Amino acid sequence: MNGLVQILDGNTFVVSDARGDIEASLTDPTGLFSFDSRFLSTWILTVDGERLNPLSVDDLQYFESRFFLVPGTGTVYVDAKTSVIRRRAVGDGFHEELTILNHDDKAVDLKVRIDAASDFADLFEVKDALKKKGRYSTEVRKGRLLLSYDRGSYGRRTVISATAPAKLDEKGLSFAVHLEPQGEWTTDLEVVTASGAGGTYTRPKYQRGQRKPQPNMERGLDHWLSAAPRLESDSDSLKATYRRSLVDLAALRFSPPIAGGRSLPAAGLPWFMTLFGRDSIFTSLQALPFTPELAATTIQVLGDWQGSRVDDFRDEDPGRILHEARYGEMTAFEERPHSPYYGAADATPLYVVLLDEYERWTGDRRLVRAFEREARAALAWIDDYADLMDNGYVSYQRRNEDTGLENQCWKDSWDSISYRDGRIPGFPRATCELQGYAYDAKVRGARLAREIWKDPAFADGLERQAADLKRRFNRDFWVEDGEYFALGLDNEGKQIDALASNNGHLLWSGIVDKSKAKSVARHLMGPRLFSGWGVRTLAEGEGRYNPIGYHVGTVWPFDCSFIAWGLRRYGFKEEAAVIAAGILDAAEYFDGRLPEAFGGYERGVTKYPVQYPTACSPQAWSTGTPLLLLRTMLGLEPQGDHLIVDPALAENIGLLALLDIPGRWGRVDAFARGRVEIAPDLRRRARS
Amino acid sequence: MTDRTTEFFEELDARGHEPLLEKATGILRIDLSDGKRRLRWLVTIKKGDVTVSHANAKADCVVRMDQALFERIVTGKANATASVLRGLVAIEGDSQLLVLFQRLFPGPPNGRKRS
Repeated sequence: MNGLVQILDGNTFVVSDARGDIEASLTDPTGLFSFDSRFLSTWILTVDGERLNPLSVDDLQYFESRFFLVPGTGTVYVDAKTSVIRRRAVGDGFHEELTILNHDDKAVDLKVRIDAASDFADLFEVKDALKKKGRYSTEVRKGRLLLSYDRGSYGRRTVISATAPAKLDEKGLSFAVHLEPQGEWTTDLEVVTASGAGGTYTRPKYQRGQRKPQPNMERGLDHWLSAAPRLESDSDSLKATYRRSLVDLAALRFSPPIAGGRSLPAAGLPWFMTLFGRDSIFTSLQALPFTPELAATTIQVLGDWQGSRVDDFRDEDPGRILHEARYGEMTAFEERPHSPYYGAADATPLYVVLLDEYERWTGDRRLVRAFEREARAALAWIDDYADLMDNGYVSYQRRNEDTGLENQCWKDSWDSISYRDGRIPGFPRATCELQGYAYDAKVRGARLAREIWKDPAFADGLERQAADLKRRFNRDFWVEDGEYFALGLDNEGKQIDALASNNGHLLWSGIVDKSKAKSVARHLMGPRLFSGWGVRTLAEGEGRYNPIGYHVGTVWPFDCSFIAWGLRRYGFKEEAAVIAAGILDAAEYFDGRLPEAFGGYERGVTKYPVQYPTACSPQAWSTGTPLLLLRTMLGLEPQGDHLIVDPALAENIGLLALLDIPGRWGRVDAFARGRVEIAPDLRRRARS
Repeated sequence: MTDRTTEFFEELDARGHEPLLEKATGILRIDLSDGKRRLRWLVTIKKGDVTVSHANAKADCVVRMDQALFERIVTGKANATASVLRGLVAIEGDSQLLVLFQRLFPGPPNGRKRS
């Protein structure tokens, strides 16, 4: 995405080049997008038939940018007599102020042209390069250029207009501009997106003269930043990373129409500005000590969309929490199942985990009571629908074999689940972390049942089930000759015996027997898994290990943040601090914005983290990672109405203070000093 | 209109309480048209307590579609959310009522494939 500029508001966003131009092909990811459809695929500015040259771009806000341009291309030395400024703000379409300045002492006449067109591609088509089935039309009417796409009752329209006198044709807008010496010319361009046959026209929310940002978010960025805890530290890098995380999290907030104006984290910018069960839950968990309202909205929206029937196309079951929701043409015509799609095996138990963790931090019993039915339905799903092999374990196999997801765990690429020798198992698959999440959901569900729903019999039952699951799991998943937990059980109930980072999630869930924890921690910090930056998704030496393989060797910051939480849970404070230090060191190389994943290369070899090529940045759970790492380093843990602070952090961080941490205690401060020494080779093994 | 549509609403009215609507309070009006005439179903929801009538009252959410489509939805042959995205359903007012209400529609008749 080098050279591309992205601005967004909710799930409307613009991706352009550094000139502000959009020049998309079916497979080229630029354009104006809204609700998963492209509304502009061409938006090219020329002056006297020439493209412009970018001087600079200001990303003023996440929803607004300004392009400074001069005519003439290809010259090293620019001595322009005119300059062009495009100021663009997105919000229900976009609004662009186009200004041209004449720096000469002679008057000048210019032909200014905007070429405009739309292919109305569904986001899925942009990813998969598919052909359209509907009809396009273009029309100039009452001073507006209308671009339309219709397929039966499904209609999408882009309406373009300008404030300055313009000559409109079906391919764009032309302006005859006369500029006096030192003169200035300006026009406002408005691009409106509309859906449906009649078309509900909403004007872009930004107009000239409005200087106050009013994004579709519930409140402005300044308020968001000032409501979050304040971080003070000797480490400038940590301070910058923290601020970057908060700003990016603000940009990733999105308000689905049913959230009542509140917002929750979408999965990633820009292609995943939509509701994802797993991503929204993990990000809400990471951000709980900082912005607990994200968790509240996530609980509500995912609860409202909880599965209620059996639907094979959508892999939906009663009680199941959704995986992904989309709004585009292919979803509308059921060529894709995302209306919504439920094919995730982890989101449902994690929903209960989030509900409990949310209450532990905020004390908001009202919400836990309001969503009791949904939480019980989620717990029932684990037993009634997820045990596909009737062996007492959660497993997955898609019922939609055309367009459903094969791997319904967070490692969702085709080759992510393998045996040591690289073979790929059949379905159903019971990956290990799913059992951990199910265990944790039962334990936490029991607490909620006992303390809030006042149903001790239900709580007793859940606790018995949890204890039984833990006992069986530690027997059936334990790889004796390797002393770690298998990646999963295959369709014959045999161990999928590769060593993977999933072991860290098991520590987080609490399903690991105390007697086995040390050995698990030793693997996580050992040379096969720990790269010096973080924990590899798959251990070096496994058949499918590849340091730049998506889920088979790269390091995922989000994964590491939960592993660090897991290590702390079992008392491995210093090990957690080492992982936190590695990931935060890596963040420095990305200006505080951690990528989705980076290469699993040994830190001593590459010296810097090699980013995995990906189109999505920032990614929500990478953005949440520094937040969860702060929690683990400070050892923040709610206990009743108090917040326990038990820090363990790397020496080079020096002094660390997190002030005004919100929760059921009101606001409290946490202070720490870095005391964990990190060995000069930048890695430190768990002591055996 | 005989049919599963009438059955759907009559059963809902007879149940009187629907746990899936316990977080909903408001009036949902569903206008079904067969091209000639329009039939109005008024669903009054108060924290899960439901009554259904043909009365005329101000609704918090009004939903309009072809009667044939609704018949397909209540028999699981069409999906409500996909129909909305396709532009076959017009919605005015508080769409959250519809989000909660769509949970009452059945899944496709073919049932669940199991491994």
